Amino acid sequence: MSAILALDTSTEWASVAVYDGTAVLAEETWHAQRRHAEELFPTIERILSHTRAPISSIDKVAVATGPGSFTGLRVAIAAAQGLARGSGAALVGISTLDVLAYPHASSKLRTCPLLPAGRGEFYAALYQERNRKWARRSPFIVGPLVDICRQIGTHTLFVGEIDALAESTLRDLLGPLALFAAPASRMRRAGYLAELGWNELAERKQQPLGALEPIYVRQPAMGGSFAQPFAPPPSDDVSLGLPKRSS
Amino acid sequence: MRILAIETSCDETGVAVVEDGRRIRSNVIGTQLAHQATGGIIPEVAAREHLRSIDPITDKALRDAGIDLKEVDAVAATVGPGLVGCLLVGANYARGLALAAGLPFIGVNHLEGHVYANWLYAGAGAPDGAGAPEDVPVEPELPAVVLVVSGAHSDLVLMEGHRRFRLLGRTIDDAAGEAFDKVARLLGLGFPGGPEIERAAKDGNPTAYPLPKAWLADRYDFSFSGLKTATLRLVNSLKEKGELPVGDVAASFQKAVVDALAEKTARAAAEHGVRSVLLGGGVSANGPLRAEIQRRISVPLRVPPPRLCTDNGAMIGAAAFYSLRHRGPEMPAGVRSSLPLA
Ligand SMILES: [Zn+2]
Repeated sequence: MSAILALDTSTEWASVAVYDGTAVLAEETWHAQRRHAEELFPTIERILSHTRAPISSIDKVAVATGPGSFTGLRVAIAAAQGLARGSGAALVGISTLDVLAYPHASSKLRTCPLLPAGRGEFYAALYQERNRKWARRSPFIVGPLVDICRQIGTHTLFVGEIDALAESTLRDLLGPLALFAAPASRMRRAGYLAELGWNELAERKQQPLGALEPIYVRQPAMGGSFAQPFAPPPSDDVSLGLPKRSS
Repeated sequence: MRILAIETSCDETGVAVVEDGRRIRSNVIGTQLAHQATGGIIPEVAAREHLRSIDPITDKALRDAGIDLKEVDAVAATVGPGLVGCLLVGANYARGLALAAGLPFIGVNHLEGHVYANWLYAGAGAPDGAGAPEDVPVEPELPAVVLVVSGAHSDLVLMEGHRRFRLLGRTIDDAAGEAFDKVARLLGLGFPGGPEIERAAKDGNPTAYPLPKAWLADRYDFSFSGLKTATLRLVNSLKEKGELPVGDVAASFQKAVVDALAEKTARAAAEHGVRSVLLGGGVSANGPLRAEIQRRISVPLRVPPPRLCTDNGAMIGAAAFYSLRHRGPEMPAGVRSSLPLA
């Protein structure tokens, strides 16, 4: 048996799936918030038990490479590199925005997936069919919705993590040009990541595991400080080695 | 038992293969140079570097050890304390590797790693190791008092037995290594500050300037911020007078730090009647610190070689081995920026 394991922890939403080239055998998508590190591996093990596939049957691994939360992206990419190193599986990275847009290819609409980038900004890219080929037609963009909308001149289907505020902002900015996929179909699902990864691996040669980089788009913020890297100072009780008071 | 161990809690990517918790088969350390330009560690930059180097360094650690993944019995990684974004890279890589290879995963407390660095020795197979395998050094005797001092930690720990730790005291502000770095910068010396200050202090008079002690009375805690401020004031007033005897200031400052660390360590050793005193962390390479602690205690003092004092994978492999052998504090499922020893 040959199968691909797909991992995505690009944002607060995470997803894991197994696909065998013809069918998605199992998939789980959940709101992990910031608990990716705690929940990713239990989910992988659960997914494998649902498919009744031993880990040894996984000979391919696909991982979402962003853009998204820097820390979130690294959770799945590090895990995927470890899985590939441990099993000898082939590893492939797929942009998280590609995964979001992919199920809407048949709509023939220009599609714009959105993911939160913090500080009220979003990651975006534009996808469209041209000469019967569906592909990304813009670079990865990061910015406020008003900037992203400057690049939208035609009817566009918005998918991804769009909350009520973002939806009303887009309607205000674009009026009838803004179209919205239904909630269930705008979600990001690892089944699609698995399909894309499978197809990609069929077309190109395997690269070194360490060459797989997240799509950061943004430079690291230089404001970070290492003055207090670890815990805040302990309370007097702790520092004196006294037993903990129950309070 | 062979453990593949991974350390990514700060700015060193370390991967090692350790046998039976003591013998180093390989120990590869990738030091991130990106931080020298910024004069400090930016966590996001460090995490990006870890992700770039974790797989190539793991590959090298296995090749240096001359073994295949099939000959590994367990995979370990640091899960805290440390920079969360950095810890996540090593811990998730290690868990993925363990799951795919059908091996157990062991989460390790970084501070336990510094403690267990005292159990390591370089096997003949290790490329950077000297000594024949039959030269197995004796294990440190327990109970012990352990002082872990580096740019990130200043902790005084009582080790009652394997994996039975009690935190006696720690710094309430800066770590000792940070204080060395800051004062070195003040005196126009290089980075890292510890070895630079030690070198400058050699020709200096340690009693030239009275500086406040870096401790809190009646407790085992340290405080380096008052000493740092006093040194800053001293340097400024000397500069106004147009003279800055760098050697004397360095020696006086070093003496204040060393006295505090040595005094508390020796007092803890006496109070708890321990059979040895162990050091760990980058600052334990400081010669006067070792000498002063040794002078004040009557039990053996153990200090790992410099390469094992700073962060590395081998110490995580040692700690992981003893955590399989001895029950102790449970490790979290994820990673933690702050993780107590007990
Ligand atoms: Zn350390």
